[in-house]
Formats: sequence, structure tokens, C-alpha cells
Amino acid sequence: MERIVQGTSPAEVVAKLQQADGYYITNTARDLSQSDYKNRILLHTDLLAAEARERAGYFSLEITGGASVHVDILRKQVNPFLKLEILREHMPNTMFQTLCRGVNLFGYRPYPQNIIRFTVKEFAKYVDVWRTFDFMNYVPNMQAVFEEVAKAGKINEPCICFSTGPEHTNEYYLKKVREILDVTGEDIVLCIKNHGGLGTPKRIGQLVDTIRQKHPDLPIHYHGHNTDGNDTGRIVEAVLNGANIVDAADHSFTGFYGPPPILTVIQTLKDLGHTAVGIDEDAVIESSDVIRDERQYYADFESQIKGFQPTVQIHKLPGGAMGSSLEQAVKGGFLDKMPDILHKELPRVQKELGNYWSVTPGSQILWTTAVSNVLGGERYGNPSGDLRNLLLGKYGPFPFYEPETWIYEKVLGENWKTVLEEEGGVEDIGDMDIDKEKATLTERIGEEPTNQQLTLYLQHPNDAVEFFKFEARFGKVHVLPPSIFFRKGGFEPGETLIFTDYTGKEHIVEVGPSSVSEDGETSVYLNLDHHQRVYTFEADVPEGAMAKAVTMTKEEITVLAKAGDMRAPFSGNICEISVEEGQQVVKGDKLAVMEAMKMQTPISCEMDGIVTSVFAKVGDSLRPGDKIIRIDIDE
Amino acid sequence: MKTKILVANRGEIAIRLIRAIQELKYEAVAVYESPDKDSRHIRIADEAIWLGKGPRCDYLDISKIIKAAKKSGAVAIHPGYGFLAENPDFAKACEDEGIIFIGPSSEVISNLGNKVIARKIMAEAGIPMVPGTGNLAAGEEGITTALAFAAEFKYPIMLKATCGGGGRGIRLIESDEQMRAEIPAARAEAKAAFNDDRVYLEKVVIEPKHVEVQIMADSDGKTVHLGTRDCSIQRRNQKLIEIAPSMIGDKVLLDTICDTAVKAAKAANYFNAGTVEFLIDKDFNYYFMEINTRVQVEHTVTEMITGIDIVRTQIKLAMGKKLSFCQEDIQMRGHAIEMRINAEDPKADFMPEGGKTVTVYRSPGGYGVRLDGFVYQGYTIPQVYDSLLVKMTVHGYTWNETVDRLRRCLQNFVISGPKTTIPFYLNIAKDPDFIGGDFDTSYLDKHPELFDYEDNANEASKLSNLIAEIHHRGYNPYAA
Repeated sequence: MERIVQGTSPAEVVAKLQQADGYYITNTARDLSQSDYKNRILLHTDLLAAEARERAGYFSLEITGGASVHVDILRKQVNPFLKLEILREHMPNTMFQTLCRGVNLFGYRPYPQNIIRFTVKEFAKYVDVWRTFDFMNYVPNMQAVFEEVAKAGKINEPCICFSTGPEHTNEYYLKKVREILDVTGEDIVLCIKNHGGLGTPKRIGQLVDTIRQKHPDLPIHYHGHNTDGNDTGRIVEAVLNGANIVDAADHSFTGFYGPPPILTVIQTLKDLGHTAVGIDEDAVIESSDVIRDERQYYADFESQIKGFQPTVQIHKLPGGAMGSSLEQAVKGGFLDKMPDILHKELPRVQKELGNYWSVTPGSQILWTTAVSNVLGGERYGNPSGDLRNLLLGKYGPFPFYEPETWIYEKVLGENWKTVLEEEGGVEDIGDMDIDKEKATLTERIGEEPTNQQLTLYLQHPNDAVEFFKFEARFGKVHVLPPSIFFRKGGFEPGETLIFTDYTGKEHIVEVGPSSVSEDGETSVYLNLDHHQRVYTFEADVPEGAMAKAVTMTKEEITVLAKAGDMRAPFSGNICEISVEEGQQVVKGDKLAVMEAMKMQTPISCEMDGIVTSVFAKVGDSLRPGDKIIRIDIDE
Repeated sequence: MKTKILVANRGEIAIRLIRAIQELKYEAVAVYESPDKDSRHIRIADEAIWLGKGPRCDYLDISKIIKAAKKSGAVAIHPGYGFLAENPDFAKACEDEGIIFIGPSSEVISNLGNKVIARKIMAEAGIPMVPGTGNLAAGEEGITTALAFAAEFKYPIMLKATCGGGGRGIRLIESDEQMRAEIPAARAEAKAAFNDDRVYLEKVVIEPKHVEVQIMADSDGKTVHLGTRDCSIQRRNQKLIEIAPSMIGDKVLLDTICDTAVKAAKAANYFNAGTVEFLIDKDFNYYFMEINTRVQVEHTVTEMITGIDIVRTQIKLAMGKKLSFCQEDIQMRGHAIEMRINAEDPKADFMPEGGKTVTVYRSPGGYGVRLDGFVYQGYTIPQVYDSLLVKMTVHGYTWNETVDRLRRCLQNFVISGPKTTIPFYLNIAKDPDFIGGDFDTSYLDKHPELFDYEDNANEASKLSNLIAEIHHRGYNPYAA
């Protein structure tokens, strides 16, 4: 049986899925990276696996979208478009898949319609399968994406986000499927998006069966997470009940919160008489083998807490949010409060806020609200702006019921009804002037941007500009392996680093000594391709130096000045020191001149005496309360 | 006691002269000002005499240098280029003190240093010249003469200081109004710079090639030329790159120019080594510009293609020897290019990078490359002198071979610490117009893209920037 290759039209893909005697597999590399490695798996690692993954014969490789677009430019310093371009060279036949958050695209808040269309158009040049969801299952939020994907001739894969609870009935989901099909037409793949890995295998089996009965020809793609360790069970039930495609990941990198191992799924279903279509099992094993050694370099990004979390059925945090939540708890020092937050407060908030789907950005709203409720003492006492927007209905209507009025009152204030009337409802966000944005970007980077650069900029303006500057300075760094890119504690003297630049040229860097000069400047010596290079780094500002500086009130500064302790009365630069140590001064003498906003202000002496210390010098940038001069009574 | 020759200069040319002196089995006496106390020319010389605290005053102090020569017992002084090299008073002082001045006589230096006298000599000898005036009379009379000249030859016109040189004391005039304003200003400036307020005018040759001829003459008046050099690639009249021979395809024209140079030298009663400079316009008319009465920075390219050691010959001629070769013996072979590698930032309008320490110095080597430099790893470049670090001269049998070698050598040249002109030159070495031999004095103005070199910086060195950063910080600050 044959696999589906890149370039096949949506109608043909749907036809092949309908006719296939077996199920297909998507390698969910992006979701694995996001759920278990804080999105840090580098293109370098994906390229190591590319050849074997190409041979493995997946329905698709999910390799972009979600938070990865942002993390690509923010933390991995790789252009998300270049990433796809390079991967395509190595994987000509495999369809690439993305995860798009509808109006929120690859971010956390709604974008204007023209930005959505512009972005989808650019990414659709590389992305074949578009999995699109909305955390409120509000179909209009996905419509612009559906239209652009169809226009580009790519495959729409709309999602119904899945959760559990009395409201999450088969009938409800069937209604949602109907709403979607009314908008998209029949040539789509439907995704059941089980981002938390919720429900039992039996529950998933029932849902798939219900949809299958009603829509015999609709291809169904089951997506789940292995947070409770049981996603293989759900996958099996999904396939037994007629799902056409399932999600899983390379076993050598599987963790706790991402998808389960591909090979486990294949082996289990084989015994039940179901064949993975187009799959070369040896290549599946090989993909894992070639990247296994790399996993050690990502250890810092793996979850702080090891082990499966069957309690996900209670707190419902999606795979992608587990790692970052635990990280926050460790950094914030409230790890001990986690059982309370996860198992008591989160489910409570969940119910109070309408039992919608805990997935981006809705999951973040639930999480931050629960944390703030537990740590802040007063429940809903310190509501976030996003919670406010949720209640105002900016993301779409509540799917089942609205929160109780006391929550509205807490969040929107006493006259919440008026606020809701005046500000409520899905916002019609006006189009952005793309040409104007392009002009701004041109100015910021000093050259006309490409459409790809503009796309990145429109979504994350500052981070994109920082990335373009980074790229100009450091080049295309995706060629560096994680052992170099994520190295901690510096390299060993004499260590040899080998990498191949993007043009294919191999380079050797030998690490030499570092020396520190008297003024704290460090010189790092590297031999690049046997030529010595020296890199100098200015002395670091000692940590906390800025934090230690005291900010004083105007009154305090005035009082101190009368006692001869002259401090900067405002933020500014010293442009003149008019006296020297040991000099006699009388009240009214000019001691120094400060400049702020191009206005010069003399600092006058407030008492007769002698200058005992001069702390500041010309050019110093001072904050209010910083010392300038000390005057003592001449004895 | 060995015969000693004093080198009245610093930097790379001092070393160049010391090498020739020592090869001739003489002893070299170096002199230096305080900022040059770590300079390599002192170490290479057989002895070194401190002149004073400097900067740039003791190297110009005739009496101190004569005193140093006497103290060390030097019988001759080589002035190099710059400083006192073309100061007739210095040559005169040597003559008066019975010290051999390695160069022409003070009278010749004086005549040729005065642009108006030089023009007069050349005019009498029938040497083609850019139309020009004599010294302008003071006051309104001079201005009237100037305006009449402008009416005849049209703007633009060069206003030059009679005693100027080396690109200094030159103003471009484009209107009568500007002429009136600039003549007094130029006089004041010339007075301050050269202690001589005389000025004259010359018609401007638009976008000319700058071609010069190396000549050598012995005391019998036997005068030969060593072929042409093209010095068109200049920045504000300062040469950056010199090429031998000129790339002009018309060999007959070049021969004519060389013969004219010899004629000019003879007319000036020239002795020792000199350079006759010409401008060549778009229609291949050539005009005499001036005779430089010293060894030129760019003499190396001529040495490479002729095989004649110019400095050695200079010393031998000064010490009383005759030219051991005649014109027919001189064979030109291949092409040579010299690039002046300066501690300057071309992107910041060639801002000098003095005061910085050379942390890495890795020079190219191999067939057909010659380096005349004086810096070393650990050397701090004094802020008070010029920014020339090293002259890199490459030689090849064909022009293409020479350019290939140039590119290779520039790629292999690593100097860290100060910014240098190397990456800028590398762009030139890759520029199709340069490779095609198509350049004149407007070359840099017409190729602004040459300054666009950081973007082409090689990928590996960018990546190693990041590796250095990861190493230094102990983590990757861009991935945290």
C-alpha cells in the first residue's frame, strides 16, 4: 500500500485516506519538542533524522506552528521559513504539517484579518497540512485560515478540541463537526485534538465511532498526548473505531507530556490486525537511533518533574503547558503549592469559567488565574487582562454556560453589566497597514525586507528585528549542534568543535585560552580553521549593581543636600564638576552641572564647608539619589 | 670601523632602507622619537639614536638629525619619503656638513619642489603640460589673472599651493565667485602649512588616470626609466593601490611617456632616483604633473617587475657608483600590485585606528608575495604617525595570475586589534572593473559597494563569534 506524497491535491489525499486499508501516522516532532523540550529541539537534530524520517513514510511531519515559530526566532535563532526550506530539500516526499491557532495564528492574541491571510499565504508555500483550532471551538475564528489554505491548494485539517465533563457530549461534538463542514466543504481532514490527553480509550473510541457513523467518508485524524501514559490506548481505540491518521513521535525522544512512541502504536495495532500504511518500520527505528545521542544536550529543557501525570484528567493542562507550568513553579518557588493548584484550584476555575477547552491561549488563562487565586489569597482578586477579555467575550462566546455573575463583578468591577454591554463581544480588529509596517521594518533593519521577514515581523515585531540583527551578526547558526549551541560552562581548552556551514563547508574551531586584562576585558582565543582569532568582551557590570542603586524622594534629597550630601535630584548626566576635593565652598556656590532632556541644571551648594569627596565624574549617567559630592564642615 | 648610513625616517620605509644598507655591508643608524620606542626599525638597525620626545617634530628637526649623523659617524643620510625627504634645506644642510644626501642635489629638490619653476623647466624642454598659470600676483591683480584663465579654459580648475605636495594644498574651483573667495583662503592655508603663500592655477583633467615613471640617473647624467606605475586608485589624492606597469593597452603611448620622463629628468639635471608623474585623460593625452625627488612608497611594484633594487641603486649612486645597466638591459616581466594595508576603518571614512594593539598578525606567504611592514603581534600602533602598517606587493606573470594571488594573499592576511583596509581591498580584488583593468582616479567614487564588506564576511567567522560568546558567558545568551 502506498504512502501519500507531498504535492498530492486535497481531494486526492481525502480519496486515498478513504480507500486505504489501514491507518496513517503523523510524526509529531514539533509537539514533542514543545511538550517535552520547551520547544528547543534544533533544526540540526531534525536534519540528522530527516533522511530516515523521509523513508519512514509518514502521512506528515508536524514540524512547525504552535509556539515553535516564535521560539525559532527567539531562542533557536533560526528563520522558520528557512527551516522548512532546508527540511524540504532533505525530505522531498513528506508532507509538512503545522498547528495554527486560528485568529491567534502562532501567537496568543487575535491578529487582524489581513495579517492572518498574509501569514497563511507565506507559510502555505511550505506547509501542506494545516491543523487549525480555536480554544473555544468557535468556528468563525478559524474561517480566514480555512479560506487561505484552500486558496493555496493545501489541506485543511480543522480541529474539534476535545475535553471531558458533562457538557462534552458526542452530540455537542457532532454539532461542531457540522459547523465546520458547512464552512469548509467536504475535502478536509477532521482532527480530534486531545491536547491534554484526556478521557479514557473507551471515551475516544465512542467519539470517533459517533463521528464515523454520521460522516462515513470524513477522514479523521486523532491527536493526543501521553501525559497520563495511556495515549497508546486511546490511539488504538480511535483506529479500531475508524480513525484514519494518528499522531505519535520518535521513541528515543519521547518524554511524558508529548505524543507516545510511534513504534509502540505500530506494534500494538499490528497485533489487532491494523496496518500502518506506507510505513517502513526499519526507518522508524533508524530515525530514533540517529538522534538518540543528541538527547543528552537537551537535558536542561526536559521537565523538572519526571514521570507520567495521570492527574491530568483532573487538572487538564495540555502537554505543551505542563513543562512550562512546572518551570514557573520552580522559578517562583511555589512547587509545594502545585498539588493544590493542579488538583483543587484548576478544576474549580475550569468549571467556574465555563468548562471550555484548556489549550492555548485558554489554558494559560486558566493556569494564571488558578495560580493567582492560590498565591494571591483572594480568588479572582487580581485578574489578568486576558481573563478580562475572556469574560468580555473577545475570544468568542462561552460554549456551554457563562461564569456566575460574582466572577464578572470581581473581574470587570461593580458596574460589570455596563462594561460588558459597552465592550463585550468578539472584536472586529481593523486591518493593519502592511505597507506602513513594511516601511517601518525597512527603517529598522536598513534594507527592504523579504515577505518572509515581514511575516515574522508582523507577528512578533521586536523579536523579529532582534533575530534579523542576530542573523546578520552571527550568520545561520542552525548548523551548530546542540552540544555547541546549548553548551553550559564554556568549552574545554583545546576542545575541537566541528561544524558544517550552510553552504556545506566544514569548519574546525579549536578552543584556546582566555585572558582578562587589567580593566576587566576578556580576550577569548579561538583557532578557526587553523587561523587564530581573538574576541574581546567588555567587563560585565557586576550583577545587582543597578538594583542596589537607591531611588530617593525629592524631600530626602533636599534634606541630605542641606547636610552637605549632594545627590542627583533627577535622572540625567553630569556635564560639569565645578569643584575639587579639598576646596572651600560657601552656600550658593556651583558644585556641578547636570543635564537632562538637553536642559542643564546647576547643582548649588547648600552649606559652607569643604569638599571632602567627589563621587561622580563628567559623563556619568545618574539616577535620582545617586551621590555627586560630599561637603563637610571645615574644622 | 664600518661605513655607516643614517636612516632619517621611521616605519616600514626605515626598515626597507636598513635592509638595503645592511645588504651593502654598511651599518645602519636609526633615529627615533619617543612614541616610536617600540618600533621595529630600531631593533633591526645596527644602532639607534633617540632624537627627542616628538611627536613629528624631531623627525623634522634638521639640526638634530645632522647632529645624530655626526655623533654616530654616519657618512650618508637616506631620508626615505615624507618628513624631510623633499626639503631642500635638509639636502643643503647635508651638503654643507659634508654628509652624503641620498637623493638629488638641494638645487634640484628646490627647483622641482617649486611647482612654478618646475613647470617652467618642463615647458622649456617641450614636455606636455596641463594648462596652468604661473604664481598668481598678490591681491586683485592675481584674481584678475585667475578669472581670465578660467574664462579661457573653463571650470573646474585646480587652485594649488606652489610649495604643496602629497595631495595637500589643492582646492577645486567651480565658479568665479568661488575663485574670488578661495584664493585668499588658499594663500592663508599655504602660508600656515608650507610657510609660503604662493598659489597657481591648473586646468582640471576630468577623471584622469594617474601614471608615473620611475627614473634613475647617475652623476654622469646617464638617465634610464624603469617603466610605468598606475596609481589611479586614490582616496582624496592619497594613493591606496599601485600597479606596475600601467594597464593602458597602447604600448607605443607608454613608451612615449617613459621617454618623456627621461627627457624631463634630464631637463631638470636630475640625479639619483625620482618619479615623474603624469595625468592621462580620456583621449589618452598625457600631461606632466610633477617630479617627486624621493623614493616612492610604491617603488616595490617597479622592483618586482624589473628585478632592480631601487633603494640599493640609490645608495650606490649616492656613494659615487655609476649606473651598471643601460636602458636596453632593463626588462619588464609580468605585473605587480601593491596595496597599502593601513590601520584605518574604511567604513568610517578611513578613520585611523591608532592607539590599538595588534593582537593577531598572521601574514600571507608563498610564491610572488612581498611584505614591507614593521608591525608585529603585540605592537601598539602610535596615534601620532600615519596608519600604514604593511605594504603587500604581489607579483605574477600575467595580470590574472597577479589578481588571483592578490585575492589569495588578502584572504590569508589576518590582522586583529585595529580595523584595517584588508576587507575593503578584498572587495576591490573581487571587483570586475578592477579585474578588467578598468579604473581611473574616480574609481572609489564610482564603486560605493566596495564598502559593503561586512555582509560578505564569511559565515564561519560569524559562527565563531557566537561560539566565542557561548564560551565566554558560559551559556548561550541567545538561547536561554
